[in-house]
Amino acid sequence: MSDPSLVTQDLTIRFGGHVAVNSVSCAFRPGELTVIVGPNGAGKTTYFNLISGQLAATSGKVIKDGTDITALSPSARARHGIGRAFQLTNLFPQLSVFENIRLAVQAHSGEGWRMLRPVSHFRALSEKAEHYLEATRLTKLAHQTAANLPHGDQRKLEVALLMAMEPDIYMFDEPTAGMSLDHAPDVLDLIAGIKADKTKTVLLVEHKMDVVRALADRIIVLHNGELLADGAPQEVMSSQIVRDVYLGTSEGVA
Amino acid sequence: MMNQTQTTGALTIKLIVLAIGALLLFAPFLFQDVRSLEVAARICIFIVLVASYDLLIGYTGIVSFAHTMFFGFGAYGAAILLKGMGPGWIPVILGALAGVGVSLVFAIAIGLLSLRVKAIFFAMITLAAASVVLVLVSQMSGLTGGEDGITYKAPDLFKPATKLLTDDEGKVVRLWDVRLNGKLAAYYFVFATSLILFLLMLRFTTSPLGTVLKAIRENEQRAEAIGYRVVAYRTFVFCLSATMASLAGTIYAVWLKYTGPDTALSFAIMIDILLMVVIGGMGTMWGAVIGAVLLVLAQYYLRDLMGAASEAMAGIPVLPNLLAADRWLFWLGIIFILLVYFFPKGIAGTAMDKGAAK
Repeated sequence: MSDPSLVTQDLTIRFGGHVAVNSVSCAFRPGELTVIVGPNGAGKTTYFNLISGQLAATSGKVIKDGTDITALSPSARARHGIGRAFQLTNLFPQLSVFENIRLAVQAHSGEGWRMLRPVSHFRALSEKAEHYLEATRLTKLAHQTAANLPHGDQRKLEVALLMAMEPDIYMFDEPTAGMSLDHAPDVLDLIAGIKADKTKTVLLVEHKMDVVRALADRIIVLHNGELLADGAPQEVMSSQIVRDVYLGTSEGVA
Repeated sequence: MMNQTQTTGALTIKLIVLAIGALLLFAPFLFQDVRSLEVAARICIFIVLVASYDLLIGYTGIVSFAHTMFFGFGAYGAAILLKGMGPGWIPVILGALAGVGVSLVFAIAIGLLSLRVKAIFFAMITLAAASVVLVLVSQMSGLTGGEDGITYKAPDLFKPATKLLTDDEGKVVRLWDVRLNGKLAAYYFVFATSLILFLLMLRFTTSPLGTVLKAIRENEQRAEAIGYRVVAYRTFVFCLSATMASLAGTIYAVWLKYTGPDTALSFAIMIDILLMVVIGGMGTMWGAVIGAVLLVLAQYYLRDLMGAASEAMAGIPVLPNLLAADRWLFWLGIIFILLVYFFPKGIAGTAMDKGAAK
């Protein structure tokens, strides 16, 4: 098996007395799509925030390709190849769809400091942005203001921003949440495409079990901030412990 | 590419700005009196000053109250050196450099100390810095002339007695009845330098850097998440904007041949800048032009206009009193409120949203 591209070592964050993520150690490898499941409040998004840097860990480490990135800012982690899409749509609202995507392309290209030539002269940026517009089937909406898009298209744009960053690690936080049935397959196809590349590491938080079944190489289960189970999809889905967490134990409440 | 740039409203605004540019270019020939030229020069300089403030507030979403402080550094830099070294180009250039240097030191210090904090605290810190500098300048009268300011001579080229072209008899040549003298040269110095600085800033806003600034304004956290060092960009644009304001200050000092707290540092100027950027429209650059023109014109001519109106209404009850020249600030306030009501995004900002995108 290849070396892990991303490792979390005893990753922990405390908010006052509440331990939101408790000593989670886990390694993720290129070419592997890991789905993170767990009930609401299990710490999935918080775990993502610790990896991508929006939150600083209380203790533990985040290691990308052997480099300790725990102390780095979110932007530095992004430049290290960690890309992240957000659960709540988090765009540049008053800019067009095209401008949103071009910003992500530009961040990756390192040309954000160029100030004497109009951005439209940077052909490579526009071409790449158009490529990702196409890939996410947003071409027709290119000149719409992001804030005016329907929710489903905003979610697609959210994913497009992540794709345009061209990271090594793709982190999707419920990418199809609130999406209509005709939009969701587009996004899932995109994720399947990244997975097919075999060189990228994909982390996916998802609730819909059919999605999980279709995409997952591996499932990890978080519960109350702790890593409860980790393994092949069949194994994890059929384990008693996961059934207890998801379906409730003695109470039998679904 | 931006949905706003191709509306009929945007086209109208650009044509208006172009017309303003043409009027300013030919101002000495079109309006042949001293006061009009004064107004035209002030408009040029305030366009630069307001545009540089727009880089901060309109493009990046940073609120600063220290913009006149940077303007003042540039003005005092040139003033102190012109006074000390006598008229010439070297003190102007050194003064400009010194002004920019001091501005950068302050901008970096304020930026690094406080750009990480919330917007309101940042605004307070800039306000504090500007107040301290204002007090210092009025106290250090040996260097700055204190409250009285400094009077000095501009480079010889700009003396009214300088003849740019002479005819056979050695008299200054007149073009369309305008003497080609030093005053004209001074105006075109102001016009040309302001135009260059404005075009440079316009260039910045369309560059990749400009797109990052807008991204920071729109969603700072996401800009950081996709890989932009937000603090570095914010500090940089703060320095850039300070540099532009400082250069505008130097130009103004050369034009006025006088620099004092009232012309270069007072909070009244800061308020003017804020009004201009709000009236014109933030985040458009064109708004800076429109705002500066309207407010400077109002400051110079509203009084006269109302005086004339008041006289014309003589005999009608109440109206002449209401329109008396002394009430010009009252009417300026009303006009301002109406503008904000009908143009919530400023004149340029609101107009550019109108009209179907082409």
